Amino acid sequence: MKKRNFLLFIPALFIVAFSFSSCKGKDKKETDATTETTTAIDTPAVTTTAPVMVNDDEALRKGVTDATKDYPGVKAEVSDSVIVLSGEIKRADWKKLNPTLNSLHPKRIKSDDLTIK
Amino acid sequence: MSLQDKYKTLIDAAHQSGIADLQVREQDNVLYIDGSAPSASVKDKLWDVYNQVDPDYKSGDLVLNVNATAATGSKAKVTTNSTNLNIRKGPGTDQEIIGKAAHDEVITILSAPNDQWSLIKTDKGEEGYVYTQYLTPQ
Repeated sequence: MKKRNFLLFIPALFIVAFSFSSCKGKDKKETDATTETTTAIDTPAVTTTAPVMVNDDEALRKGVTDATKDYPGVKAEVSDSVIVLSGEIKRADWKKLNPTLNSLHPKRIKSDDLTIK
Repeated sequence: MSLQDKYKTLIDAAHQSGIADLQVREQDNVLYIDGSAPSASVKDKLWDVYNQVDPDYKSGDLVLNVNATAATGSKAKVTTNSTNLNIRKGPGTDQEIIGKAAHDEVITILSAPNDQWSLIKTDKGEEGYVYTQYLTPQ
């Protein structure tokens, strides 16, 4: 009786061992897939496709007038939502003025003819 | 080299600095970076990075619109060059001047109706709009 039980035990052991090995492989595949998904989610979306909001010339002229009124050496013109600067300005003042001009939502700021001292 | 490659260090800095509502867009050969900085120092840091990539911002191929909006009730110092700062009835230089804030005076920000103007109150109780460019959050 004992010998018979032993003979039944050996095939059962093989079945259990084989099943365990198969499950281990499946788990690994699922883990890899989860890792790949997580990586994709964590990657920041750098570029968006929403259209850029640009102010019209009238709104820009008002904002540019306000922004440049304390910089008499700076001449500013607005055309087709582009701010064109000329004249001269101290470098420290340019670092204050430029962020303000950028916040007015222009299409572009051209400062080729602006001398920075 | 694309504009996003040219300004990669700036874009990376914006991501790492916790800029809210960050948008990076390219249109008609101009790169637009928009968002809200958690503090004035973060905004200044981004402008420093921009200046390193494009000295004196001469290329004209980037519009960097990252604002550091001060919280309601927060304090800010008047950082004009030396003169007093006009307090106006409304948000615009065409609005009546109703008071002055002294150079280096600390005022309270009540709200910011737009990116350029802030509604403030002085310690003397004067209330009106000033140009945000001349305020430095404390």
